[in-house]
Amino acid sequence: MRRVVVTGLGAVSPFGAGVKAYWAGLAAGACAIRPLTLFAADGFRCRIAAEVPELAAGSPRRSRADRLALGAALEALDDAGLARADRAETAFVAGAVGGGMLEAEEWYWARARGERLPGGAAALRAILPGSHAEALGHRLGLGGPRHTVVTACSSGAVALAEAAELIADGVVDVAVAGGVDGMTRMCFMGFNALKLLDPEPCRPFDKDRRGMSIGEGAAFVVLEAAERARARGVRVYAELAGHGMTTDAFHVTAPEPEGEGMARAMRAALAAAGVSAADVGYVNAHGTATPQNDRIEARAITRVFGEGRVLVSSTKSMIGHTMAAAGGLEAVATVLTLTQELIPPTASLVTPDPEVTFDCVPRVAREAAVGCAISNSFGFGGQNVTLLFRRA
Amino acid sequence: MQHRRAVVITGVGVVNAALVGAAPALGAWLAQPRAAARVAVGGRPAARLPEATLAGLIDPGEARRLSRVCQLTIAAARLAVAESGLDPARGLGLVVGSELGDFTSTIAFADGYLARGASGLSALLFPNTVMNTMAATTAIAVRSRELSLTLNVPGVAGELAVARGAAAVAGGRVDAVLAGGVDEIDPLVAEMLDALGDHTVRGEGATFLVLEAEATARARGAAVLGRIEGAAWRALPARPWGVGRRVVSRAIDEARARAGGRAPGWIYASTSGDTARDAWESRVLRAALGAEPPMVSLGALLGQHGGLGALRVAAAAWTARSGLLPDDVGGPVTRVSGPGLVHGLARGGGHVALLVGAA
Repeated sequence: MRRVVVTGLGAVSPFGAGVKAYWAGLAAGACAIRPLTLFAADGFRCRIAAEVPELAAGSPRRSRADRLALGAALEALDDAGLARADRAETAFVAGAVGGGMLEAEEWYWARARGERLPGGAAALRAILPGSHAEALGHRLGLGGPRHTVVTACSSGAVALAEAAELIADGVVDVAVAGGVDGMTRMCFMGFNALKLLDPEPCRPFDKDRRGMSIGEGAAFVVLEAAERARARGVRVYAELAGHGMTTDAFHVTAPEPEGEGMARAMRAALAAAGVSAADVGYVNAHGTATPQNDRIEARAITRVFGEGRVLVSSTKSMIGHTMAAAGGLEAVATVLTLTQELIPPTASLVTPDPEVTFDCVPRVAREAAVGCAISNSFGFGGQNVTLLFRRA
Repeated sequence: MQHRRAVVITGVGVVNAALVGAAPALGAWLAQPRAAARVAVGGRPAARLPEATLAGLIDPGEARRLSRVCQLTIAAARLAVAESGLDPARGLGLVVGSELGDFTSTIAFADGYLARGASGLSALLFPNTVMNTMAATTAIAVRSRELSLTLNVPGVAGELAVARGAAAVAGGRVDAVLAGGVDEIDPLVAEMLDALGDHTVRGEGATFLVLEAEATARARGAAVLGRIEGAAWRALPARPWGVGRRVVSRAIDEARARAGGRAPGWIYASTSGDTARDAWESRVLRAALGAEPPMVSLGALLGQHGGLGALRVAAAAWTARSGLLPDDVGGPVTRVSGPGLVHGLARGGGHVALLVGAA
C-alpha cells in the first residue's frame, strides 16, 4: 500500500468561495445560518439554512450544485499545481446526493402546473448525482477512474476514501475527490417532514439542542501518492493515513443506539493508519445536533478513545449540515486544524450535554498542536466513515 | 501495481422480466435466451417485471415497508447470498450500482407536497429519495456490515459496481462483497428519457454477485462459479451525454494487464441500440483487441437497466464454464474458449472492463 497525501484544497462554503473564506469563518466561530432565500419556506417549522452567498464558478446554464463543485475542484487543482497534462490519468470521485435536483424541481413544479419550462431537458440531464462526475470530469479533463458515490450524508468522506484506495492500490497517482450538495426543496422538505430541523441555528452537543440546520456547499481535495508529491516538490498539507467504512445494518434512518458501527469505522481508520487512539488529539465530529446523533456519536467516541480524552467539535454549528458536501468540507477543516494548529469551535455550544463527556471547544477556536485528527461522517442507512489525517 | 488477491464469484441472483433465480436459472436462460415480455410504461415499451412475480419473492409484511426498487434489490441479493452459502457475519461488503435510484418514491414524495403542501410530505418516503436507500435496506436484509457503496453512473452502473467490489476484495479490504446493479422503470422516467432523446429499449431488474477472495472461498468449500481475472474503469473523453472520438482504452489494457496479459476470446458488450454509442464501442473494441471475437450484449433481450452490466458478468462466468456464448437474436450458441471480456461504455465516457474466466 502506498502512502497518500493531501496536496490541494478547495472549498465553496456558506462563508463564500475559497478555502481562505471558509477557514476564516470557522476560526472566527461565525455562524452562516440565516433565513432561507433560494425558495419559499412558507408552512415549514424551520425556515433557515446556510446558503452559499454567491456562485463564482461556471456558466449559469450549469446546475447550482455543479457550479459549487466546479469552484471547489478548480481551486483544489490550482492549489496543487496540477498541470493539464497531469490530469489525463487523474481520478475523480464525487460524493453527492441531490445532483441538479434544484433545477429539476423547477421543471417538475412547472409540469405540475401544466407548463413547460425552456431548458427542461438540460435540467433533466443534470438531475442525478452521477451527473457531477460526468460534467466536472469532462470540464476538468480528468481521464482516470471516475464515478459518483452516494452514501447519504457521508458521501463526501466516502469519496475521499475511495480515491485514497485508488492511489494506495497503485491504480492512479493522483485523484480529485470530495463532496457537493446544493440546497434543494426535496432535502429541506424531507428533513422538515422528519422533524429533524431546529427553527433556530443548530447547537451540536448542547443540552438544549433541537435538531440540525441544513447547509450547502462543496469541497474537493487533491490526493496524491506521497512519493510523487515529494518528487515534484509540492506542498503537502497532511497525510490521509487511514480510513474506515462500516455499515450499521440496523435502520434506514436511525443510527444503531450503542454506536457500534461508528466505533468500528473509527477503529478501522486507526488500524489502517497504524496509530493508537492516544495518537489522535482531535475529532471533527459528524455532530448534526439531533439529540440522537450527538449522544450516540459521543458514546462511540468514548468507546474508541476513552472518556473525555480528545477534543471534539462540530463545524456544522457554523455552516449547518451540508449533506454530501459535509464530508469534504469537514475533511478540509480537519486538515487545516493540523496545519494551522487551531481547533475550530462548536460555535453555538452554551450548555454542554452532560451525556457528552468531551471538551467540545465551545464558542471560541482553540490553539492546539495535534499530530493526528479524525473526521467522522455518518449517513442514512448507517453508513459510517472515518478519515484519519496525520501531520505532514 | 500492488499485489492483489484472486477474486472469484460464488453466488448469483437475478430478478428481471425474463428470469428469476440463481446461477442455474441464468444458465438455463442463456442456453436458450428469450426476450422479456414488454409492456407499455409511460407510452413506451419496456421489459417490466410483473407485480405477481415480485410479490412471490418478498414476504408481504416486509414488502409493505419497502419501495419496489428496494424489493427488487433485496430479492436478487438474497438469491446470490443463498447460492454462495456465505455467512455474512464473517464480513460482507455491499456495492450497488444504479442509474436512477428510487425515482418512483422521489416523485411520490414531491407529489405529496404539490397536492397538499407541507402536510402532504411523507416522512416514510423521504429516505427513499436518497439513492443509497437500496443499499441501506439490503444491508439490513442480508446483514452486510462492512463497506457499503452506491455508485450512480449512467450506462455502466452494474459493471462498475462489480469492478469496484472486486477491487475491494482484491485489495484485501474485505473478504467478500455483494456487488451488482438495479433499476426500475417508471412512467415519469420513461417520459424523461423521451424528452432527452433516449429511445433505447429499457428494462428493469436487479442482478447481484457474491465476490470472494479465492483463498477464503476455497477454504470454506464454496462452489466457484467464475473468476474476475482483471477489472478496471476509466473515463474516455466525451461531453456529458455525448459520444466521444477517442478509442484508445486504458480500461481494457489495465484489465488485461491484471489478468496477466491474456486476450479475451469473446465479449459481452454494452450494445444498446443507441447507434452512435454502439459504433463508438465497436471502434474502441477493435482498437483494443485488433481481432473481432464473437460478441453478445443481451441488452435487446432484457432492456437497459442498472442490473444489466452485473448480469453480463454473471453470464460471462457461465460462458467461461460452459464454453457457450448465447446469441442476441435467438440464433445458435457459439462455442468459445478462454476468458472473456465484459465491456461497458456509456455516453459521457464512463468505461469499464472486466476479464472473466472459469474457476
